[in-house]
Amino acid sequence: MEEPLLRVQDVGKFFPPRERNAQPFWIIRGLTFTVAEGEFVTMIGPSGAGKSTLLNLIAQVDTPSEGEIAFRGRTISSPRSTVLRPGFDRQIGYVTQEDNLLPWRTTLDNVLFPLELRGGADAQGRARAGELMAAVGLAGFERHYPHELSGGMRKRCALIRTLLYDPPIILMDEPFGALDAQTRAQLQEDLLRLWSMRRKTIIFVTHDIAEAIVLGDRTLILSRPPTRIAGAHSIALPRPRDVHAAARQEGFAALHDAIREQVR
Amino acid sequence: MTSRVRTVVDRVVVGVGLLLLWQVAHMAAGTYWLSSPWQTLQRLGELAASGELARHAAYTLRAAGYGFVLGGVPGLLLPFLLRRLPIVSATIMPFMVAGYGLPKLALAPLFILWFGIGIESKVAVVAAATFFLVFFNVEAGVRALDLKLVRMAQILGASEMQVARHVILPGAVPFVFAGIRTATPYAIGAAVIAELISSNRGLGYLVQLGASNFDARTMIAAVVATTAIVVGANSVVNALERWLLRWRPRSGFAAGAASGEF
Repeated sequence: MEEPLLRVQDVGKFFPPRERNAQPFWIIRGLTFTVAEGEFVTMIGPSGAGKSTLLNLIAQVDTPSEGEIAFRGRTISSPRSTVLRPGFDRQIGYVTQEDNLLPWRTTLDNVLFPLELRGGADAQGRARAGELMAAVGLAGFERHYPHELSGGMRKRCALIRTLLYDPPIILMDEPFGALDAQTRAQLQEDLLRLWSMRRKTIIFVTHDIAEAIVLGDRTLILSRPPTRIAGAHSIALPRPRDVHAAARQEGFAALHDAIREQVR
Repeated sequence: MTSRVRTVVDRVVVGVGLLLLWQVAHMAAGTYWLSSPWQTLQRLGELAASGELARHAAYTLRAAGYGFVLGGVPGLLLPFLLRRLPIVSATIMPFMVAGYGLPKLALAPLFILWFGIGIESKVAVVAAATFFLVFFNVEAGVRALDLKLVRMAQILGASEMQVARHVILPGAVPFVFAGIRTATPYAIGAAVIAELISSNRGLGYLVQLGASNFDARTMIAAVVATTAIVVGANSVVNALERWLLRWRPRSGFAAGAASGEF
């Protein structure tokens, strides 16, 4: 069998207890799953289920307390890891809940930032940045500063900043969580369109069941802490998908109910 | 009437009111104790025409400028260095706080003893006063650094140096300016006070000269000139800050209230 792009094997993470004789708090324990190249995996779980903690472990912002994480068959993170390499040399992109744009850079300069870190944006990079900005409706806002943009526009900017440098896998942590329903649907459409243009491997964390279904090839359900995988569903809805019409498609309601049963 | 015009009108009213108050006080006390606004302006005119004003002001500005650079640059760089050396930082911080609390102007006689009555002793007083003001403001900025932005930059592939250059430094600029803005009037004030104590040039010397001749006009003229220089230096700093921090929202509560616009 082909080696998956990402393998999370028996991963656990605990936080040391506050008081001396208390038990450590395991937020994640015995969590295992794999992600194949080009797959769009959505992940859903109750709040407090350690979703952000899990993504932090994969992105190497934090080390696991047990288990290991392998990328293309090679262990990149385990409790024995001594040096954290956030983003694993640009192999793992991470779109966080907050947009984390640099407030002193214009929209365009924020999008080009990862290229600049690699020694400068060439003509090709600039052209691609322009394409991506146009694709998400940011054309004409290149010279605006983040505080001059709406919340939805800032999210789009953060999203294409990560897409521009093209990491093989992108983690997304409830990127559309704080937005109103209309803006969120628009961003879901944008994301699906961008994904159909270039099929990246994506792990998308959400607490919205409909969002998990409409975006993903497969959805994984997380339990309450100590968090493990409580269930997995393949999503057979045909692509391209219509964000607004998906709920009326055959199979959606049954899948929605089955997932809701397991998310508790 | 727009709010901006309204603000200007209000300011003129207050300014005229203050001048009137000054005039009334002058009429009550007499020229010997307090010269009138007009007399002061005349004296300023005389000093300007004879070239004395420019000579003394240039001396004071030079002392303030040299001292500002000598104290401000280390005050600006040290917090960035200490960020990388937490043990050294923890060790020296109480001493820095003590240094901040120390009344630097009280050191002026000591500096005159060490460096003589020339410009060196004034530069030393100014440097001692500005160093701590700049240091503590920039230190607050380095401490208030948004760690989420640092982490994001690392994920995007930023090296240690790139994080410092693209995230930490620009993030600290508002605090650097807070330090510079606070230190500017102190630097000029410290230079003037050092000149008051012992000097043969500078605006502080001019005040002292007026005092020894029982000449209130000269004293007040020198103080007014000093104030004008401070106000001018402040507006240069503010203009520079507005340009460097043009990425910041202008609708902050304080900013909006101060400029009278939203």
